[in-house]
Order: sequence, then structure tokens, then C-alpha cells
Amino acid sequence: MTTSTPLRRTGRKAAALTASLLLGTAAGLVAAPAASADDGGGTLRMPITGIGIDSLNPFLAYFAGSLDVFSGIYPALDRVEQDGTVKPYLADSWTTSSDKLTWTFKIHKGLKWSDGKPITAEDAAWTFNLIMKNSTAATANGSLVGNFASVSAPDATTLVVKTKKPQATMLSVSIPVSGIPIVPKHIWESHVKDLKNYKNDSFPIVGYGPWTLTDYKPEQYVKFDANKDFLLGAPKYAHMIQQAFKNTDAAVAALRSGQLDYVSGLNPTQYQALRSQSGVKAFEQVGNRWNGIEVNGGARTRDGKKIGTGHPALGDVKVREALALAIDRATIVKRVRDGLAQVGASYLPPSLPQYAWQPSGSEKFGYDPAKADSVLDAAGYKKGSDGIRVDPKSKRKLEFRLGIHSDDDADAKVSTYLAGWFKEIGVKVDIQSMSSSKLNADLAKGDWDILMDSWSTGPDPTYLLGIQTCAALPDSKGEGGSTDSFFCDKDYDDLFLRQQSAFDDKQRADLLRRMQAILYKANENIMIYNANGLAAYRTDRVNGIVAGKADSTGAFPAQNSFDQYLDATPAKASSSSSGSGSGTVIGVSVTVVVVLAAGGVFLARRRSSSDDRE
Amino acid sequence: MADTIDVIGAVAAKPAGAPEGGRPKGSGFARYLVTKLVAAAISFLVTLVIGFVLFSLMPADPVQSITRGRPTSDAQMARLRHQLGLDQSVPERFFHFVTDTLTGHLGTSWEFQQPVSSLIGDRLWPTLLLMGTATVISVLLGLWLGVRSGWRHGSWLDRIVTGASLTLWSVPTFWLGMILLITFSVGIGPFPGFLPAGGMSDPAITGGLDHVVDVAKHLVLPCLTMVLVVFAQYVSVMRSSIIDELGSPYLLTARAKGLRDDDVRRRHAVPNALLPSVTMIFMHLGTVLGGAITVETVYSWPGLGQLSYQALKVPDLPLLQGTFIVFSASVILMNLLADVVYRFLDPRVRAQ
Repeated sequence: MTTSTPLRRTGRKAAALTASLLLGTAAGLVAAPAASADDGGGTLRMPITGIGIDSLNPFLAYFAGSLDVFSGIYPALDRVEQDGTVKPYLADSWTTSSDKLTWTFKIHKGLKWSDGKPITAEDAAWTFNLIMKNSTAATANGSLVGNFASVSAPDATTLVVKTKKPQATMLSVSIPVSGIPIVPKHIWESHVKDLKNYKNDSFPIVGYGPWTLTDYKPEQYVKFDANKDFLLGAPKYAHMIQQAFKNTDAAVAALRSGQLDYVSGLNPTQYQALRSQSGVKAFEQVGNRWNGIEVNGGARTRDGKKIGTGHPALGDVKVREALALAIDRATIVKRVRDGLAQVGASYLPPSLPQYAWQPSGSEKFGYDPAKADSVLDAAGYKKGSDGIRVDPKSKRKLEFRLGIHSDDDADAKVSTYLAGWFKEIGVKVDIQSMSSSKLNADLAKGDWDILMDSWSTGPDPTYLLGIQTCAALPDSKGEGGSTDSFFCDKDYDDLFLRQQSAFDDKQRADLLRRMQAILYKANENIMIYNANGLAAYRTDRVNGIVAGKADSTGAFPAQNSFDQYLDATPAKASSSSSGSGSGTVIGVSVTVVVVLAAGGVFLARRRSSSDDRE
Repeated sequence: MADTIDVIGAVAAKPAGAPEGGRPKGSGFARYLVTKLVAAAISFLVTLVIGFVLFSLMPADPVQSITRGRPTSDAQMARLRHQLGLDQSVPERFFHFVTDTLTGHLGTSWEFQQPVSSLIGDRLWPTLLLMGTATVISVLLGLWLGVRSGWRHGSWLDRIVTGASLTLWSVPTFWLGMILLITFSVGIGPFPGFLPAGGMSDPAITGGLDHVVDVAKHLVLPCLTMVLVVFAQYVSVMRSSIIDELGSPYLLTARAKGLRDDDVRRRHAVPNALLPSVTMIFMHLGTVLGGAITVETVYSWPGLGQLSYQALKVPDLPLLQGTFIVFSASVILMNLLADVVYRFLDPRVRAQ
């Protein structure tokens, strides 16, 4: 008997605790304002870009979420619009010497960091020099200054950059998002020693840009205040909040219920659902990404040694051509992307119309299974009794592994179509679903036949083109390298070198197109589609977040987050807290229900015990 | 109840307990505790080894994953490999791992380039808040319902409770989460949503009570999802142990003494039937830190489950090993606690 009393007492205490928790929550629903607290000027809300923020230290961070944040809080030398036009930012103007090796930038006078200290050319020179000389500082952006010989600031408004070789892409080195953010020397000088461990988390962060970062909680949110004196015009919002959403469905729910103003990166299902939602405008933008397959045409090291376990038949350009002819890209666009994509061909995506290339009628590998069959027949790949063709040289059947990303829904769908179409031409594929890290590791070792792949690019496509050069192959030990398909072609490499020092835009664009034509013919990177970017915003909250005009298919030009957040304007409609009234009603009713239920239980218990008592 | 247990305890204790009856009680407990502590330490070391082996065997190139999509030169990648210790041999890495762990250093995350301990520290409290609240509520709710439905098994209450809890138990967590999220955050038909769709707080709300209330609001849906899915375990275990006790003679004795039905249940049946549930509660408490990856993902809750999932993708070995250590340590610790608490709850254990 004695032991039961404490047990019972804890039971009651716990019950009381639960009840008070529940009641507390219910009361909270009533008391808390449904819409955000606002001190005038409005708050622009969106999810954090991509999979999040890895670090706020701009010398270390890799994730898209971090780069997006840096573009708002640290300045760059200049800006490049999506169509390739270069605009001034910190630098008002620039000149190049006649040998194209010396660049002189004139830095805008009178700008101040958020702590009031002046921004000078010395800040930029110090940032570049640190990345060039300190290997920790080079972690994120080292390769962008790889061709720099020296950087100096002879006076407060002059920055001189000397390069080892002429560099046509100089004006893409320090641009918002994909370039080098310039940091205040007087703040960072003291952190050089411990750069590796410096989290850059004393708020507000001293910087310069359209926004000042005032607070950050890992995996939760980033808060910004607008910089009213911003050089390119102050943001129209007083605050901006980026919130961490770990799945887009939840972000879509938050947009629909008014907790967010803008969401990008939607999938076709989410996009179609939002199109019919009132108060929400869903829009397409031209894709800055390609989706396709890589074909292992012969994995090797830089010095020509074969590595990996690729199928030898894929080394034959005819086999790869047959694969390209067997893919019905239009069906994939229709069935997998719900029509919200363009049929792929060119290696550079349609968001870069100035560089994108299209095959002419005779060059084109369209959907033509009969032609694919005849190409394979002519090359001597005879069908066996099981309908699978056999490689006459290695005597191996044309059975290929097709690696797909296990976390990518589109990969699973596309690969099923591919397997069916390939089977029709006597090629069998074994779909192998694996994690991205396993897929990338296999790729680097050459242990693959066909892989599904996808890449996106900002305004400067140099890196995307660079991963197809011979220099990107692994070294003689089979290590390093950033090759994407083990593609290596001398003509392509020559053109790559020439475009790096092609200072005339037209001439460079022409070189880039010729490179894409070479890639297209080799069929080691077979493009399938370019998915349109899908996004949506609340029309009752925000205006002007989309720039440009929609094309004939209804797709807007690719948007740039730096400009989008700068141009976004609060909508006039005052119904911003539409959810609050009903929220309160529901809150009250929930409380009432909880109280009634609690009371009911209490009465019931009283009655039952009194029954027992009698 | 005390009489009954004493009887059983005495019967069980006699053979072992009689010869050393004169020994002071404290030293027995101390010895018991030391054995358990040593056993816990050994299991911890074994899990360390298993953890290291498992993660080292993972077929992946973290440097490729981390730098993919960023312009990275060969030299940068080689430097990164060296920095991450990937150029060391496996025994070398194991030696560093063990010495670092035993001296309390969890290393630096490759992906976040921050100390693992600070990453775990940041996410520990959100996980504890969510999982702690959900566990407390589901234990209380589950046990309470289990007792009621077991006591009158076959009644309409029993049928509803068992049916509902088992149905919810078999529902996929992420699916239930999404349904609740759409229903209560967006609203359905004429009913508007009134709860936040994700995260742990509204960043615009700062300061004191407002913030607490706001966090409570954000806690409702993830917590509800966890509770709905998990409470069935407690219901079924508690229900079946109560049913086991129903025929026991000591209940008849209690009734014969003239006790009310409620008192018979509360004071006699429940304490005896509680032991299997206690085991389960402690087992569950051990896994609380592991969080619930699916719930944390659906509701964007900034917890440890989410962190280990992110680490697994790269794979970020120091971070994975760090979370692994914390998770296994918490399971081992809770088992140890269960062993100790058992000694106080059940005299039969004490007597052994």
C-alpha cells in the first residue's frame, strides 16, 4: 500500500502538467498574433535557398544558401546580368592595358561599411590577396583568382589587378552570388589567424550591400535589415527574413497560408497546384539547368591510362549515337516535367541565350529508333537470341549499368522511360539507384557505364565548360580532377583556351558555340531536357519580384535573386493578416473545446467515483 | 499490493539471499552499480569501434560531394583531402578517432567547417524539446488509455482505443505529418489554417513570453504527429500487462477487503503491470536524442535527426561519428538508468 501513494501522486501531477501544457498552447493560439509583428516598411519572407547555409564565413562556404546570403550583405566589384551585360557595382568603371594583362578598376567614392568606416580599394585588394596567399581563405573561391599575378590598391579609389595570362572572364570574378564577396579589411584582419574556425557570427555583421544581416540561427532563419543608403537604390522592404524549410511541400503550405511571400524551386505538381490558388501567382522562368545522361566513352587519367570498369562498347561513338537517337525527349518533357521544360540539345542552358547553341537539321540526333537500329546494325552489333545486341570486339552483350540518384524523383521516372526505349534497339540497361555521394565517387573512379546527371550555371559558364576539358581528368594516380564524363578532346581544349582570352563578346560566344557542337557530336553528354525554373509569390503581399517579359511559351527570363529581393515591393493590399481573424476564432474554439473536454472528464470521474462510493 | 510483492520477493529471495542476509544493503547496491557501469563502458567502446568501421566502409568520396558544382582546382581538392585526413591510413584514422573521442574532441565537420560539438549543441535543445514533450505526452496518454482499455477489455472504449492506436501506429509518419500540416496550416475547405507550417519559431517575433508562446505554437503539429504515431506502443503493452494481472488472486483479495474497483486498479493492478512499460519507456528515452528524422524533415525542425541525415549525404564522417556517439551514449545511459530504477521498482531484481 505504501508504494502506491507516490505513484499515484506523480500520476496526478503529470496529468496536471499535461493539461496545463495543452491549455497553455491553446491560450497561445489565441494570444499570439497570426501575422508577423511589423514596424512599418514590411518584411519580405522566403525560404533559405537550396539545402541551407553551411557557414557565414565567405571564405569557406559552399552551399547555395550561403552564397545567396553573401550577395545581399557583401559587395562585389561589378554585376553581370543574365544576358551577359556587365553593370557597375563597387567599381564605377574599368580599363584594360593594351596587353590585356592589367586591369584598373575605379572604386566608387564615399561608400561606407555598415559600421561607418569607408569602403576603399584597399578592402578589395586585401580580400583578393588573402585568397591568393592563404590556402584556408582559398577554400571556397581559390580557383577564381588562379590566374591573378598581383592585386594592389595604389590609392583609395584605384584597384589594379595584374593577371598571368589575359583573362576574358575578369568581370565575372567578383560578382554577386557566384563571385568573390569583398569583406571589410578592418574587421577580418584580426580573424586571419583563426580563419578556419571563424564563424562570422557577431551580429549585425559588418558589410555592405542591399541588406545588413542582423540575426542568424542555424537551420532556422536569417534576418536582414534594409540598407537605406544602398548605392543601387534602397530595397523597398524594411526587413527580409529567410526561413529554413527542409521540404518544399511545407514551404508551399507556408506560402498558401501567408507565412511566406515567395517560394522558388517548385516541382511541376506543386506548381500546377499553386496556379489555381487565388492570391498566388505561379510563374515559369527559362531554365538555367540541363538534365541528361553521361556516357562513359572510356575513363582514363590525364596521361592516358585507362581506369575503371566502363563497358568497352560505349567507347564506340556509333553506340553512343544510337543511344542519343533512341531517346524521345519530347515525351519526357511532357510526362515527367508536365510540359514545363524545353527539349534539351545544347550543353549550355537556355538561360544563357547569348551562348546557347542549337544543332542544325542535319546535325540533330532526334528521336528515331529505326535509325538507331540501322546505325548499330551497320556497326556490326548483331542481336542475339534474347534480342540484346553483342559487341563484335569484346563479345560482351550491350548491357549497361544506368546509375540514378536515389533521392531524385525525376531520375527514377526518366530512367524507366530510357530502359524501355533502349530495349527496343537491343540495348539492356540495369537501373542502379544510389546516393549522390556514391554516384559521384563511382564517377571519379570510372566505375560506371551511364549516369543520370544535371548541372546548372550562373551567368559565366566557364566552370561548366571546364569540367569537360582534358585538364579535368584525374591525375596519373587516378586521383583529383573534376571531370564530369571523362570527355577529352584536343579541339575542344584549344577552343577553351582561346575563349579564356577572347575579349570580344561576339567572338567568345562563337567559340563557346563551337565547343558545344563538339560536345554534341561526341554524345558523351546527352542532353534530355532543360527544366524551367518554377516559383510562386503572393500577389496580396509582394510586387515586382519578377523582372522581364514572358516569352511566347509563358516563361520569364531566368531571375537573379540579388535583383529580385532588391526590386520586390510590398503590395498595396492591406489584407496581409487575413489569417489572423479566423486564427483567433479557431484558437478560441480550440480552447473552449479543451476546457469543456477537461471539465467533462473531471465530472465523469467525479460521478464514477461517487458511484463506487455508494 | 505491497503485501503481494513482498510475498513474491521473499519467495524468490530465499535461496540466494538467505546465506548473506547479514550483509549491509549499501554495498550490494554499490557492487551492482559498478558492474552495470563497467558493462555500460564496455558497450560504449564496442559501439565506438562499430561506428568507426561502418562509417569508414561507406563507399563515397566526401571531397567530390562537398565541392561539386563549385569551381575547385586540383590543388584545392588535394588540400581539402589532406585537411580532412583522408590521405591517412585507416589505422591512423582510427587511432586519432579513439584518442579524440576519449579526450572529448568530436572533431570538425567537413561539410559545415565548424566544430562538431557546437553543431550538436545547437541542435540538441530543439530535439529535446520536441521529443521530450512528445514522449511525455505519449507515455501519459498511452499508459492511461492502456490501463482503461485493459481493465475493461472488450468494452467499446477498448475497441475504439485499440483500433485507433493501432491504425495510427501503422500510418507512415511523414504521410500523417503532411496531412496534419496541410489540414492545420493551410486549412481545408471553409476551415482556415491556424498553425505554422514549419520551423521552430517565427523569426519576426522576439522577446520573452511572445517567443515562448510562438515556439509552443510551432511545437503543436510535430509533437501531435509524434504522439499519434507512438502512443500505440504504450497502449498495447500496458493493456496486455493489465489483462495479465486481471485473473490474479491478489486482486480478488483486494476486492474482498472491500476496495472500490478504481482503487483495486490504481493501487494493486497498475503498479504490478507497470514494469514492462517502464522497460519500454527507458528504451524509448534512449532513442529520444536520435530524434525523428521524418518529423523533423516534414516540419523543418532544426534537430539532431535532421543533422545526421545531412551528414550521411556527404558523408561527413566526423559529424556522423559525433552524432553516432551522442545517440549511442544516450541509449546506453538510459539502459543503465533503467537497470538502476528497476532495482527500486521491483524487489525481485533487488534480491538477485
